[in-house]
Amino acid sequence: MTTMPVRRRRWRNTAIGLSFLLPNFIGFLILTLIPVGLLFYYAFTEWNVFGGATWTGLDNFRQMARDTTFWTALRNTLYYAAFHIPLTLAVSLGLALLLNRKLRGVAFFRAVAFFPYITSIVAIAQIWNMLFSPGFGPVNELLRWVGVDNPPGWTTSADWSMPAVIVVGVWRDMGYYMLLFLAGLQTIPGQLYEAARVDGASAWQRFRAVTLPGLRPTTFFITVLLTIGSFKVFDLILVMTNGGPGQSTLVLAQYIFRKGFEENQFGYASAVSIVLFAICLLVTVVQFVVNKRRSS
Amino acid sequence: MKRSLAAVTALLLGITGCSSGGDAEESGPVTLTLAGWSLATTPEFKTLADGFKSSHPDITVELKEYDAANYDTQMIADLAAGKAPDVYVQKNLKNFFTYQDGKQLVDVSDVAGKLGPKVGGLSAYQVDGKTWAIPYRADSWVLYYNKALFDKAGVKHPDGSWTWAEYATAAKELTTKLKASGDKALGTYQHTWQSTAQGFALAQTAGASLETGDYAFLKPYYETALDLQTAGAQVSLGDATTNSLTYQAQFGKQSAAMMVMGTWYIATLLNQQAKGDADTFEWGIAPAPQLTKATTGTSATPVTFADPTGLGINPKISEKKIAAAKEFLAYAAGADAAKALAGIGVTPADSSSVADTIFSLKGAPGDELSKFTFTTHDTKPENPVSKYTAPLQNILKDLHTEVLSGTTPIDAAITKAQDRAKNEVLSK
Amino acid sequence: MTTLLVPTPAETAAPAAPARRPSRVWRILGYLALAAAGAVVLLPFYWMVLSSLKGNNDVFTIPVQWITTDPVWSNYADIWSRSNMSTWLGNTVVLSAVVTMLQVLTGSFAAYGFAKIRFPGRDVLFLAYIGTLAVPWQSYMVPQFVMMTKLQLTDSLWSIVALQAFGALGVFMMKQFYETVPDELLDAARIDGMSEYGIYRRIMLPLSVPALASLTLITAVTTWNDYMGPLIYLRSPDLWTIQIGLKSFISQYNAEYALIMTGSVLSVLPIVVVFLLGQRYFVEGIATTGLKG
Repeated sequence: MTTMPVRRRRWRNTAIGLSFLLPNFIGFLILTLIPVGLLFYYAFTEWNVFGGATWTGLDNFRQMARDTTFWTALRNTLYYAAFHIPLTLAVSLGLALLLNRKLRGVAFFRAVAFFPYITSIVAIAQIWNMLFSPGFGPVNELLRWVGVDNPPGWTTSADWSMPAVIVVGVWRDMGYYMLLFLAGLQTIPGQLYEAARVDGASAWQRFRAVTLPGLRPTTFFITVLLTIGSFKVFDLILVMTNGGPGQSTLVLAQYIFRKGFEENQFGYASAVSIVLFAICLLVTVVQFVVNKRRSS
Repeated sequence: MKRSLAAVTALLLGITGCSSGGDAEESGPVTLTLAGWSLATTPEFKTLADGFKSSHPDITVELKEYDAANYDTQMIADLAAGKAPDVYVQKNLKNFFTYQDGKQLVDVSDVAGKLGPKVGGLSAYQVDGKTWAIPYRADSWVLYYNKALFDKAGVKHPDGSWTWAEYATAAKELTTKLKASGDKALGTYQHTWQSTAQGFALAQTAGASLETGDYAFLKPYYETALDLQTAGAQVSLGDATTNSLTYQAQFGKQSAAMMVMGTWYIATLLNQQAKGDADTFEWGIAPAPQLTKATTGTSATPVTFADPTGLGINPKISEKKIAAAKEFLAYAAGADAAKALAGIGVTPADSSSVADTIFSLKGAPGDELSKFTFTTHDTKPENPVSKYTAPLQNILKDLHTEVLSGTTPIDAAITKAQDRAKNEVLSK
Repeated sequence: MTTLLVPTPAETAAPAAPARRPSRVWRILGYLALAAAGAVVLLPFYWMVLSSLKGNNDVFTIPVQWITTDPVWSNYADIWSRSNMSTWLGNTVVLSAVVTMLQVLTGSFAAYGFAKIRFPGRDVLFLAYIGTLAVPWQSYMVPQFVMMTKLQLTDSLWSIVALQAFGALGVFMMKQFYETVPDELLDAARIDGMSEYGIYRRIMLPLSVPALASLTLITAVTTWNDYMGPLIYLRSPDLWTIQIGLKSFISQYNAEYALIMTGSVLSVLPIVVVFLLGQRYFVEGIATTGLKG
């Protein structure tokens, strides 16, 4: 018994662990991991999707360095992420805290907060564009009513199109992340709050001392998801502004689609994807490390 | 007796079926698949398939439905996976290059060689002296006008002599006079597409080309467009996009007295007027406004643009199917198909002989200028075939929204587009 | 163990609720604030419903009309007769159900392996899962399509099942929730002789009901709203989902905005119903009282 265990237990653990992963992993491997893995090859080739790819080494990456549109798209993506991530995080956490109680009617408001996420993206784009319409839209009518003489042109102005898209992005995603926060809040044991209360902690202190630490795994998960989601934003921008006016809302995911499906440079599109992937991964790893340090 | 005959026939069929076995490739009926989109509302594919079947009973053409807006995305995926249909439509010239360059098209020069000289758009599909697709419809951009609104405003109908300056003057005059008579309609509508300005600029300016990387030729066209927007004779690009305006509603619901648009809209307008989706009013078509007086008037040939729509053959299919597919292509570009297509309001590649058919459709205009417009035009491609076209058009699309949204002045936007074209596309 | 699933009011006392009940005035003010925020959030949705009850030409008007005096109910009958709505709805319901079931099952199963069993290579594998989340789908769509064609799955509902059911999201999400369950609890069970599978089924699953409920809803909604997946993989009209059907309906009748909005409302309604029915599980599943004490 004493000579066997370490090795044998390790072997056994691996087998059991893998048996848990297997059902999901097989599908994941064939349909996601392998196609994604291929990208790392295509990124170094010239490839028109139909035939074989020609190895071109680092050419795609050299071209990217000179490609001003790529840098514009990268800058816009960072712009979007820099505002979309913290805003969504704050709003959805606020909503979750507000709606995590047993009050009459709270169920209804939870559903309301989730509504934007389930509304069809086409309807969202049409409605928000109309709300933002510079001349006659309700948003600007309201602004004029409160005394703003020269309200912005929103989606029709290069300076305001990104803020408009960010507002709609936050509005749309807040219910989704609220739901994840709600699930996370349920894992915090109630008597931790009781204990804090007995110690005379104020609501803010209880939030700092109990809620935030208890939510850490959830917050980490949500931040990673939100980061990845923000860097990959595509459909919302496609239907709202299609990258315009000019290049003011052109983002990386859309640029990848353009290069691939519209301009048939799938090798180059793969290379841009790899860069996007690297950025996401870098941010995620930083979050991983910060999360590890905080929880230990 | 009847029953036994049927039995014998069945037996014979069974036997021949068995005996031909391996030879099935060589003779007997063939089924071709053809890609189309929005089949319920786009009858042209079925018209071609049915018309072909009646003259070639051995060959059946089956339709495969694709999404209209994502046709090329779906087709690229299908071709890459080797499960594309036998014959597929070249929806526009931008993606034709993708397919031709990617070796996804059969050389159909032999079919092209047998076609009459009247088939429009054929040259657009020629690369390196070979033809890679056969056009079956060749639209061109024209000026639609609402006769009732012109009469209400007391403005003289277009007579084919207009340059862009005269068009702009008329649009402003219409707007003012319609307003005076209590009508909210504007003078004209140019849809949100970049082609409403750039397509004409490229076609009508001598020496203009996308690949030179010199886009000064766009300037006069954007000046006209901006002038119309500022004067309120045309909905601004911002209002058109934020309110999701459709060109069908702008003209069909009489919100604009004029509209430049492709000839494909003839069929839509007739259809919508018949169903009540569009108002009923008298309308006509006139040649698109010209850059200079030289190409105006009914004794000259007006210059306009549009991409042809063609059929190409998937090279992965059998020899026998390729032969059948070539017959189908020849039919689609020929006179019989032209008549059939004209019967549903579509502008066939061979348009000169079918004007009478189109204009005898219920609700179609009967005036001479409309017929002249339909039959006489020098139509240049919107997307000249080249590996640079798609990326350059994307750069010019940014210029379009930049200028018409008022973000950047014309000159600065042109300089920016030229720099981008040079650095990102042409230097490769 | 099943008793754990039944919430009791005492256990589910809202964790973040303040100690003393707020005065009536504050409560009313709170409701008013919620109502105002709710109105802002719902405005676009309201406009969608309103537009679905208008005539085609009255949808986009300048200025916007916020009420309609003469609702056109026939839009709903129209869309039903002019489109294949029932087929689309049927397909989407089947897909959402199958995908959600598989995703929740395999995802939570794999998550247990990642969260609670130590073995070499585990963290690398997990990083691969998260890594693929970071790659935009449109860049590996074609290789994936070719793969799916080789498996003969394209143009069948199975392709969407395969596409959605093994995503990394469920694994990641469930792993995060499992990590909040203290190891001591599992060790105690192990000492009692429970196998890892037993622990997963009899301890982990019941404990993670709120997370499972969220995952269920999110997966169902994602599948329901997916547009590009079905667009690329489902070509035969009798396989179309509601999103594909609606989009093609829009491109066919592209000036008929009232009908488009009617379709959009119809596509959202089933989700609203599911949400309202299932939403108590998101907050009430079980209170994990005593786990960390």
